[in-house]
Amino acid sequence: MTLPDWVQPVAEYMLEEGLTATLRMAVLAVIGSTLAGILLGTLLTIRWLPSRALIRFYIEVWRGLPIIVTIFLIYFALPGLIDVRLNAFTAATVGLILWGSAQVAEATRGAVQSIPREQHEASAALGFGWVGRHRHVILPQALRRLLPPLVSLLVNVVQNTTIAAIIGVAEVLEAGNRSVERLTFTTSESHAFEIFAGVMAIFFVISFPLTRLAAYLERRLV
Amino acid sequence: MMLAALDWSFILDHIPELAEGLGRTLKVSALAIAGAFVVGAVLGAARAHRVPVVSQLAAVYVELIRNTPILVQIFFVFYGLPQFGIRLSPFTTAWLSVLIWGGAFNTENFRAGFEAVPRRFREAGLALGFGRFETFLHVTLPIGGRIALPSSINTYISVLKNTSLLTAIGYAELTNVSRSISAETFRDTEMLVVVAVTYLALVWTLSALIRVVEKRLALPEES
Repeated sequence: MTLPDWVQPVAEYMLEEGLTATLRMAVLAVIGSTLAGILLGTLLTIRWLPSRALIRFYIEVWRGLPIIVTIFLIYFALPGLIDVRLNAFTAATVGLILWGSAQVAEATRGAVQSIPREQHEASAALGFGWVGRHRHVILPQALRRLLPPLVSLLVNVVQNTTIAAIIGVAEVLEAGNRSVERLTFTTSESHAFEIFAGVMAIFFVISFPLTRLAAYLERRLV
Repeated sequence: MMLAALDWSFILDHIPELAEGLGRTLKVSALAIAGAFVVGAVLGAARAHRVPVVSQLAAVYVELIRNTPILVQIFFVFYGLPQFGIRLSPFTTAWLSVLIWGGAFNTENFRAGFEAVPRRFREAGLALGFGRFETFLHVTLPIGGRIALPSSINTYISVLKNTSLLTAIGYAELTNVSRSISAETFRDTEMLVVVAVTYLALVWTLSALIRVVEKRLALPEES
């Protein structure tokens, strides 16, 4: 079976350029969200009102806003507000990190609070300070419970990288868009059906094993 | 200080257009949420009761939607389907694509809710002479539906937020209207701040509502 002529260049563009950008953004966003989220979520368990109110506000704002609005704020409004100009890729990645870190922070708070009081007390009795207590005793245990939500976060982040297409980042979806446009101009046939089905297939292949993994972890760890 | 820097008269001038956009956001959300409720309850029941064929098809639908980005689904419906003569208006694409997305997540919510209804409740229903469908209607649906309520309301909130992605196909909902105004006036900050505050007000109100509804509809604790 031979494929039509238009397929190969489109597939190469979408996979080489598009998928690389998608994965690069996803990896950066997941790392950033996890680190910032675990830090904020742990700090949220401190019973000091001002810090708790501040972190709570951070979480509710970035979880509440549609991600596209967050990315628009960073990309279009930030230059006017504080004169910071980010390129599209960075703006989208930062937007995903704000959203993702809010998700992780909320999950971390729950995981940390699920560790029995005795663990805090015992490690305090052993002479650990707040940082050592969390670093060596509490967080390693909480991390086990964080694993399923972190895998779900990975799935959601990968899928949400497509939103960057709206501000023109050439990730998989935008690569597909541009291919549809180019084909429409050069051959007058858009092949939009096949191309967007292909984009869906790419994401399905990445997401499906991960959602299975998240479900499996959830069953095992609960 | 930052709020003072905003040009409030510029915002006030464009309130009528923004209100129209907000109206479309709410209209599309309402249609999609109502549809997602029906799809979720029907397919969730089919999944929970393992209705042959329907259950398997529902599983494929759920996995397909959950594992692909909603923005790609929107593009597929809007740009992909016309190739086969299925040409939908931006409005139809708008409510239909978010309905399909919300329906898939809601199917899972309701499936989990129905499956959490204790077997003996259903057995009691059957023993009282109710048929299978009546047992579902009078026992499983009210109890399982309430168990599924918090997660399904979260799905409805996501549906509302996801309507903002419809800006990508040019449907003039709130986000899209604000971008159009910015494109004409070169003023981004004011419009985006207004849009962000509007979404937060909507989402926070709905979240607060969940807590009230959850308390009122919570099942009595089993003793």
